[in-house]
Amino acid sequence: MPLLLAWSMVSPCGAQTLHRGLGPEPDALDIHLAQSLSALNVLRDLHEGLVTFDARAELIPGVARDWQVSADGRTWTFELDPQARFSDNSPILAEHFVAGWERALDPVTASPTVGLLDVVVNARQRRLGLVEASAVGVRAHGPHRLEIELIEPVPWLPELLTHPVTFPWPGEPPRFSGPFKLVERVPGSHITLRANPHWREAGQLALAELRWHVIEEPNVELSRYRAGQLHITETIPPGRLDWLRRQFGDELRISPYLGSFFLVFNHRREPFANNLPLRQALSLVIDRELLTERVLGAGEVPAWQLVPPGMPGWPDTDPGHALSQEQRIAEARRLYRQAGYSERRPLRVELRFNTSLAHRRMAAAVAAMWREHLGVETRQVNEEWKVFVANRRQGRITQIVRGGWIADWRDAANFLQLFESDSPLNYSFWHDDVFDELMARARGQQGEQRLATLRLAEQRVLEQHVIIPLYYYVSRHLVHADVEGFEDNLMDIHLSRWLSLR
Amino acid sequence: MLNYSLKRLASAIPTLLLLITFAFFLIRIAPGGPFDAERALPPEIEANLAAKYHLDEPLVFQYARYLWQIARLDFGPSFHYLDWTVNDLIAQGAPVSFTLGAIALVLALLIGIPIGAWAALRQNRPADYAAMSVAMIGISIPNFVVAPLLILLFAITLGWLPAGGWEFTPSRMVLPVITLALPMIAYIARITRASMIEVLHSSFIRTARAKGMPEKTVLLDHALKPALLPVISYLGPAAAAILTGSVVVERIFTIPGIGSYFVQGALNRDYTLVMGVVILYGILIILFNFLVDLLYAWLDPRIRYDDPEVAS
Repeated sequence: MPLLLAWSMVSPCGAQTLHRGLGPEPDALDIHLAQSLSALNVLRDLHEGLVTFDARAELIPGVARDWQVSADGRTWTFELDPQARFSDNSPILAEHFVAGWERALDPVTASPTVGLLDVVVNARQRRLGLVEASAVGVRAHGPHRLEIELIEPVPWLPELLTHPVTFPWPGEPPRFSGPFKLVERVPGSHITLRANPHWREAGQLALAELRWHVIEEPNVELSRYRAGQLHITETIPPGRLDWLRRQFGDELRISPYLGSFFLVFNHRREPFANNLPLRQALSLVIDRELLTERVLGAGEVPAWQLVPPGMPGWPDTDPGHALSQEQRIAEARRLYRQAGYSERRPLRVELRFNTSLAHRRMAAAVAAMWREHLGVETRQVNEEWKVFVANRRQGRITQIVRGGWIADWRDAANFLQLFESDSPLNYSFWHDDVFDELMARARGQQGEQRLATLRLAEQRVLEQHVIIPLYYYVSRHLVHADVEGFEDNLMDIHLSRWLSLR
Repeated sequence: MLNYSLKRLASAIPTLLLLITFAFFLIRIAPGGPFDAERALPPEIEANLAAKYHLDEPLVFQYARYLWQIARLDFGPSFHYLDWTVNDLIAQGAPVSFTLGAIALVLALLIGIPIGAWAALRQNRPADYAAMSVAMIGISIPNFVVAPLLILLFAITLGWLPAGGWEFTPSRMVLPVITLALPMIAYIARITRASMIEVLHSSFIRTARAKGMPEKTVLLDHALKPALLPVISYLGPAAAAILTGSVVVERIFTIPGIGSYFVQGALNRDYTLVMGVVILYGILIILFNFLVDLLYAWLDPRIRYDDPEVAS
């Protein structure tokens, strides 16, 4: 046994290495190919864009020191920090950004996230191969000035510029523009990063080394945290909230997150196409409080809207529903009958979701509420992930599907785009001229005027009961008492550059 | 024997080809594709991806392309882990799975066979019942129960060993190896016991004893060798399985082996990764079954493959 004890001394929670849970293996650490959340988290430690995040995920200058917007909101000029260096001490220049965007837009690269650049003049045409790279609205004016020309005013452009697809492209050999550089990568195990001494603010970096651990199972992650092998977990296992609270106290961090979970009707098929009363009835009877507190129990927040609270231009809390639960049930029964259903002629419906314990519990609870209050007969269909997303996207056999969205950036349009008629993300197949017109109008507007139009667009989605909002996501981590600088925030973005070990 | 070996190896090629063909088309039949995700991609971006990986070509062309590729030992790029080729992933994961599997296998043999033989000699006595009950428990408790219990005890409560993660160090290997070996120890003990009992009742053992041969010689030289034949048959496929890793053990101890690629590859519709691990597994199965047959000949002099009647 002494031998075993000696081995355990090499426990990794030592000295200045911070150990963070990452979730699944990143799909890619190529800035133009990465899509997964885990990849973005690592890439934001390795690379830096024009704009970056502070510890509370508020926007602060990155490689760009400063920027100006033209009066029409379409031309942005960025002044680059002359101190900015890659990890081999070579300067980061405006041309590196242009080169990066050219590579991203090249169809041969097959970047899955390049659609994010569509707001830039000729970006879409370029990725379709219709114009030359030089026609794209991103230009270097000298070594330290970058100009971006947009097709319409895009108030969230600075936040878009925190996405790795917009980062400077170092070319070969691999170099890093961010606070850390990559030193080791073992697929399925971990990614080790070390402080980049040539980063522009290297002096402020507290961590010498950082290790991201690939751990798919939240229960496994919890075990490793309890065994002292991790400082920060990516998430917590579902359904053990009370126990975790007792066990970990302040180390458990649950905080609002800009994400919504909802059920989506298929508006192209019976019985929900053109049947507003039925959709409304099914939404009204669901007791969100009961669902979040008793069924899901991981801190989720009951939802009646699409856009989560805290979004700029939106209230800080969900206003809830004007009617009490009893009144809602009575109203739902009336609407259900109005839609032509009754106890003798009940609605038979399929509720489709991807296999997961949390979704299974959600579906069982929703089906029980529909049956109890309306007499609806629900078939709960759970499908393996790829089958589910393929079916949901095709919409040929779906009736009600699990949906959800997590903000890419703090702008309501990011959520509302899901319901535009021509969006590939629109698996509701709702086609509404009023809504499309509102979204088009918002594109030409700026400031408060634009937000007002977007609020009308959200209202349209809610009035038409395109979806059944159920809850807003929360971010969930365990953060060891030795870690400093971990601030809860709505985007759940925690760059390692702000973290330190006591 | 050489003649037989060559014939066996030659027959492996059509077997493998059949396996590759089945696996190739089966995974393509599964609904959904490698690039289906929570957020659907715009069609033209999907087309770029399909073109990059030749998924836009007719399936038969893709199949031919794939055969040509693997003939050059190139398993292609992974469709899900975009930074890696399947060769990379297997080259990084296989040594880990092989190491753990091989240690577990040796451990299982070293413990399982003596327990089985010992129980056989005490047939229907308390010691036999005790050993076999423990073995039965070893077989029936699944590894996804054993592993978290081991972690709870040795990593969290006692703090002696890490709860997971991987390095080529003994402390990281102890718990996964125990988890892998336990059910094998139990199987091997049970098989050894049953076959040993049968051998001990056979006439040549009775003859040996009647001749006054020392009991030790009877057991070790005469009884044990034939008694091991069923263990050897079990070991062929079992070795191939344990050396290619275990999904559950790799998940629970976060070990970067290749076992989880069987499941992850299929779930992600990572066609090339699935094919890579299936081919590897197929080769190992063929190889170990071949070794089993050779061992048989060595253990049982009655089996001789060069005998024209047996070999043909």
